[in-house]
Amino acid sequence: MLFAQALINGILVGALYSCVAVGFSLVWGVSNIINLSHGIFVILGAYTTFWLFTFFHIDPFLTIPVSAATLFILGFLIQKHLLNYVVGPSQRSGMGVFMSLILTFGLARMLENFMMGIWSGDWRTVTTSYTGLSLMIGGISIPYIRIAVCLIALISTWLLSVFLNRTRTGMAIRAITFSFDGAQIVGIDIAFIFSITFAIGAALAGIAGSLVSLIYSFSPFLSTPYLSWAFVIVVMGGLGSIFGAIIGGVLLGVIESLATVYVGPGYQQAIGFIILVLLLVFRPQGLFGKQFLK
Amino acid sequence: MIMQEKWRVYLIIGVFLLILIILPFMSNKYWIRIFTTIFMYTTLAQATNILMGFAGLVPFGNVVFFGIGAYLTGILMVDFGLSFFPALIFGAVVCFAFASVIGYPILKLKGHYFAIATMGVSEAIKQIATNIQITRGGMGFNLPLIPLKIEAAYFFFYFLMFSAMVLVTLATYWISRSRIGYALRGIMSNEEGAKSLGINTAYYKLVAWGISAFFTGIAGGIFAYWYAYIDPPSVFDIGIAVRFIIMLLLGGAGTIIGPFLGAFFIELLTETIWSKFLFLHLGVLGAIIVLVVIFMPKGFMWFYRQRFSLSALLENVRKGKL
Amino acid sequence: MDVLLEVENVSKFFGGLGANQNLTFNIEGGEIIGLIGPNGSGKTTLINVITGNYTADSGRIRFIGRDIVGLTPYVINRLGIARTYQVVQPFVGMSVLENVATGALFGRSGKNRTLKAGLEKANEVLALCRIVDKRNELVENLTIADVKRLEIAKAMATDPHLLLLDEVMAGLSPKEIDDALEIIAKINKMGVTLLVVEHVMKAVMAISHRVIVLHQGKLMAIGNPEAIVKDEQVIKAYLGEKYVTRRKKSGGS
Repeated sequence: MLFAQALINGILVGALYSCVAVGFSLVWGVSNIINLSHGIFVILGAYTTFWLFTFFHIDPFLTIPVSAATLFILGFLIQKHLLNYVVGPSQRSGMGVFMSLILTFGLARMLENFMMGIWSGDWRTVTTSYTGLSLMIGGISIPYIRIAVCLIALISTWLLSVFLNRTRTGMAIRAITFSFDGAQIVGIDIAFIFSITFAIGAALAGIAGSLVSLIYSFSPFLSTPYLSWAFVIVVMGGLGSIFGAIIGGVLLGVIESLATVYVGPGYQQAIGFIILVLLLVFRPQGLFGKQFLK
Repeated sequence: MIMQEKWRVYLIIGVFLLILIILPFMSNKYWIRIFTTIFMYTTLAQATNILMGFAGLVPFGNVVFFGIGAYLTGILMVDFGLSFFPALIFGAVVCFAFASVIGYPILKLKGHYFAIATMGVSEAIKQIATNIQITRGGMGFNLPLIPLKIEAAYFFFYFLMFSAMVLVTLATYWISRSRIGYALRGIMSNEEGAKSLGINTAYYKLVAWGISAFFTGIAGGIFAYWYAYIDPPSVFDIGIAVRFIIMLLLGGAGTIIGPFLGAFFIELLTETIWSKFLFLHLGVLGAIIVLVVIFMPKGFMWFYRQRFSLSALLENVRKGKL
Repeated sequence: MDVLLEVENVSKFFGGLGANQNLTFNIEGGEIIGLIGPNGSGKTTLINVITGNYTADSGRIRFIGRDIVGLTPYVINRLGIARTYQVVQPFVGMSVLENVATGALFGRSGKNRTLKAGLEKANEVLALCRIVDKRNELVENLTIADVKRLEIAKAMATDPHLLLLDEVMAGLSPKEIDDALEIIAKINKMGVTLLVVEHVMKAVMAISHRVIVLHQGKLMAIGNPEAIVKDEQVIKAYLGEKYVTRRKKSGGS
């Protein structure tokens, strides 16, 4: 019984994990930028929903598009005016690849402190009239909110997939992952596409953040778990693979859920990181993706 | 280098060291503490220089050795009754051993992925430290207070960190002039080519990381005794790693003076800003990060060799921009 | 003359592609062997297999009697096999002298050299390869001919018994090619055995004692240069069947 409950919990929350990871995977796979502020973007999305709900009493699910839009714009600006300066020709080899890493780290700390400054470090969460309601099947309780979160996460991921496969911009993005030089030759404006990609990644983080606000408590300094989920899932599922991100997310959700029940709550993140390192060493391409060893 | 130039360099170094030695006798506790912190960061930056400046690997997770050094020093003193120096050295040796063990698989990763793996290790160890008994978990660990009067204690830690800084710099200097230095530079420049010249790249990368870990552990151990209280978030903080990496980049990775320049500049700047504009200080660090990464990724020493040419800076931006 | 390198039935596949198939030949000490063949015939793969950059899928390779399949590149270099790369791999950021010194400090005899001895050896090798005057130049500032010479110098600094040259003459002018041939001849006189992969026919034929021809991964012919040049199969492989037929019709030459 306990096992089944843990399993269901794991799968439902796993979809959310996937939603967090898929934007991160996209940016990494396309622009080769590891966005260490991805977790912060999630928190920003959570705050957007929180404030809209708290001040304007808008149902949290309706705030999701706002969250997505805000983060889309923020992401676009960050890539265009900051990150695009460190991914040029001289930075594509040697120590250059670390520059974006350092930059996004610095950005994360600044945003974190900014949020702390204006919104304080108090833990927030979104509680609605329907938060506590759940579906009972057998002896297992499945909160409605978690079902909704799972669905929206999956829909967002599906929308991303549709975008990438059926629109011109989406195809341009995919073209870059096949061949950076090839994409340039056919006239794709790499700088612009990078900005769009980062914007989409941020938007997805924002959506995930809105969903997070419904399930977890959050504060500016609690962004690390989201970043670490993203890492592990990308490596597990394979870089650049959306399907891999979904599978990876569900897997991670289940592993963490079972670990919480059978090992103890504090070790969740440690387990995640250990899995990450083991994967990098033994199966770098994950289940479905590109290689990490150049 | 002609004779006169060499002597000039020695003179400058000598004067510099002399100033630092006299400094604590002429200033107040505040400044002694600031400089002790600067020495610590210089030590950390220099330790990382061995890996970054010579082998070209960026170990974001190197702070894990800082934490291990800190905790081991504390645990050995409190739970096993060792006195400070043996505990410190033992802690650092364990760091060396640990680096050698995990280095074997992790050093095979390239670029980003090496950095991520080291971060993963650091975060995992941090979590473990938060949860096990021997480290007193999230409550933090208290070390015995040094049996000296406050004034003397300040001096003690000042000179202790100073010594660590000098030692690691000597080690880095020696490496740069030895076979190891040639091997590491070959690896950084072209690993395949290095292998074809008979260089056992895996071995040299391990040695570099081990030495780097050792000195990082020393800094951690001293820090633990100095502050007398440590907890996982403060000693396994990736922010510390990014800080000393930026210092190294700013000063110039691969140069011996680089860590000094970077650490002194950033610490003094942050301290000044912090005392006047508290909330700005992270913004300042962020701004410095942006400027270094976009304009001067090769560091100040490179800028100096370009004779401070503005066009060289702009050239950097142009080459780095997409 | 003693056999230096024995290649026995060596194959290397990439997926379904047989880059090297059942290659068998020997190299004797003191020889210069030319290795030719159309593009894609497996020449560079063979070099990579010998040096350990790739591991042979089957077959054996013995160097001075010792099995070397499965050994890593740096171990093989320390045993006495050195190579140059087709796409040159200088250590950017270092001077010419430092580049070569790296080879002198490692390689077969480097372990026992002090830094000073290493630099001395490097200077000797630079003189041999005729780039002493450029020794303090950064590699970024070198001409293509100089970079090729540097590539050879680095390899020679490791004191090899066997030197594998991978298309060192690509992109050189006729005068530079003659220079390169002189350097190679000098290296051979010093006692170093050479395997020279080349497309520049006149150069290879001029300098080789024997020539090996690869075609689509298989060993097509092996023999002295005069015989190879006249071999019909070789001509067909390089110039195509129609050419052979046309020559026959016009009476041959």
